[in-house]
Amino acid sequence: MLGGVVLLGLIGLTCVSIMGRQLAGILNGTTMQQVAPDWAQALLALGIGPVLGDYEVVELGMAIAIFCFLPYCHLTFGHARVDLFLSRSTGTPARLLRAGTEALFTGALAVIAWRLTVGLVGRFDSGQTSYLLNVPLWQPYLAAVAAAWVSVAASATVLLLRWAEVLTQREILHDRPEDRP
Amino acid sequence: MSALAIAALSFPALLTLIFLRVPIGLAMLATGFVGLVLVTGETTIPLGRLQTESFTTFATYSLSIIPMFLLMGYFATVGGLSQALFNAAAAILGHRKGGLAMAAIGASAGFGAICGSSLATAATMGRVALPELRRHGYDSGFAGATLAAGGTLGILIPPSVVLVIYAILTEQNIAKLFLAALLPGLLAALGYILVIAVYVRLRPEAAGPQLPPLPLRDRLRALARVWPVLMVFALVVGGIYAGWFTPTEGAAIGAVGTGLIAWANGGLTRATLIDSLLGTARASAMIFFIIFGAAFYNGFLAITLLPQTLADFIGAQDIAPLTVLLAILCFYLVLGCVMDSLSMILLTIPIFWPVVQGLDFGFYAMADLHAARALEALRLGAQLAPDMLAQVEAAIATGAELTREQIQALGLRRVNELALERVNGEAVAIWFGILVLIVVEVGLITPPVGMNLFVIGSMATDTRVTRIYRAVWPFVASDILRIMLLVALPALTLWSLTI
Repeated sequence: MLGGVVLLGLIGLTCVSIMGRQLAGILNGTTMQQVAPDWAQALLALGIGPVLGDYEVVELGMAIAIFCFLPYCHLTFGHARVDLFLSRSTGTPARLLRAGTEALFTGALAVIAWRLTVGLVGRFDSGQTSYLLNVPLWQPYLAAVAAAWVSVAASATVLLLRWAEVLTQREILHDRPEDRP
Repeated sequence: MSALAIAALSFPALLTLIFLRVPIGLAMLATGFVGLVLVTGETTIPLGRLQTESFTTFATYSLSIIPMFLLMGYFATVGGLSQALFNAAAAILGHRKGGLAMAAIGASAGFGAICGSSLATAATMGRVALPELRRHGYDSGFAGATLAAGGTLGILIPPSVVLVIYAILTEQNIAKLFLAALLPGLLAALGYILVIAVYVRLRPEAAGPQLPPLPLRDRLRALARVWPVLMVFALVVGGIYAGWFTPTEGAAIGAVGTGLIAWANGGLTRATLIDSLLGTARASAMIFFIIFGAAFYNGFLAITLLPQTLADFIGAQDIAPLTVLLAILCFYLVLGCVMDSLSMILLTIPIFWPVVQGLDFGFYAMADLHAARALEALRLGAQLAPDMLAQVEAAIATGAELTREQIQALGLRRVNELALERVNGEAVAIWFGILVLIVVEVGLITPPVGMNLFVIGSMATDTRVTRIYRAVWPFVASDILRIMLLVALPALTLWSLTI
């Protein structure tokens, strides 16, 4: 949910920035400078123009948004896979396979989150900041790290349920039909 | 075991994992990780890469276009535009034999112009057109096949998420690729309409009765209802191409524009907005995770030099470039039967692109025909070359210092070659990209794993999927014909480079 708000905000920001840039272009253009130079200057002075560091904000914000999207995607079984041989198969071997896959996934996400936490500490110690706005890089990293650990928790939950499936010989989780581009 | 052998073995290992239903992004990540550990003999490098790579991959400006295009597609889906498009197309084509099916294709093409996703196009148009087609007595298998094929226009006609990813992987200009895809996309729509015309002539019972032709005024009125679609399309694709804004900014504008249209049509409510955002979140996370996995796996491959070695190997063989190209396209057709388009592109382009990039398809000739500047430079170089070359060789042989003039001539030739190389590289990239786009899109409608067929099949609950399977082959045939046409006539794709 948070990720969605961030995404909408980024899209809005980008549009405002484009409009600002185009408007500033028009205001600085010859016509406006000749017809109504005072107006044009006044509007420019009001701060009409591209948003400073919009690329940066989009980049950093998008990373946070994607990290926030990951747990949701995981819990809704949104990750793309190939359903050729084993799509709806049941039985203990298939369940074991699903549980094993999920264990691998949990492990991978945990490694990612762990390394990212190390990366966060690195950003914090080095005091790196973004290029234009001087945002300390550890701040977006912190948000990403938090979301990454939520992904691990999501995957661990699914893992537990998968093992419960193996043990109880029942299907608990039902993969939703996938929609991909 | 050498690094190269490990890399070569990693591919079957990866495919095995994927066929065991391991999510594709995870499979690539795991294979890349294990591969890196085996090649470097320690875990420092892969663990070190993981420290920042997940964040920096997700924080890539050019990639942020993807969620925005996805959201645009979702807005288009909820915006009620599909009905207006279908009505407009039916008003124009409805009086022909099989006209409603043709209208479904036309409307899908229109929808593809604001939606970059095949499945969304198939699903949305299917929801609108399938009941209409059935109500007018169309054969259910034929109607389903038509809509599944029409859905592929979603990624063929720009904007297209798959094409964006191809552009990022091969570092090409997104705007040029979009423009290059336009004509092949329209050809595809035309080809499908021809298929329908032939099909209903051979099997008249598959089509319903023709609608009475509408007067011109009604047709124009129906067309007028879809002008916002055209406007958003022209603004996004035209604006990106004209350089008014970057592709990402264009996508943001497209998302806002489509959102406004959807809102004006009353399709954008609180509930659908949340649905759209959740759908975008899910698809974005899926795509970005695959991109991350692919980047990691490809980083491992690059360390082992496998892609370069493979490219050199194939380049050293005396195989006609066209043979290599056709082999790759056939490989995609086969793989497309079992894999989805996006994963296929991410998995294979980093391996195939270096191979294809090094091949000479005779675009040097095209390049100097079309790029006037390059021609001018080449002509200058060619004029200077023969006698100047002799002078230079003599100078080198006698050990004399080269004159300024001679150095200039040499430098000029070098620049020409580089310029030509670049033009050629771009032409090959765009041509190959469009061809790959079409072959992976064919994979969406080829049984057994054609995602579009599944989507339509799940909607037409009273129809056996096998019926759709049988009716879809003529459309696949038209796709293959079109691929051959585009291979034979690269100008159909590359005209956009000349303007």
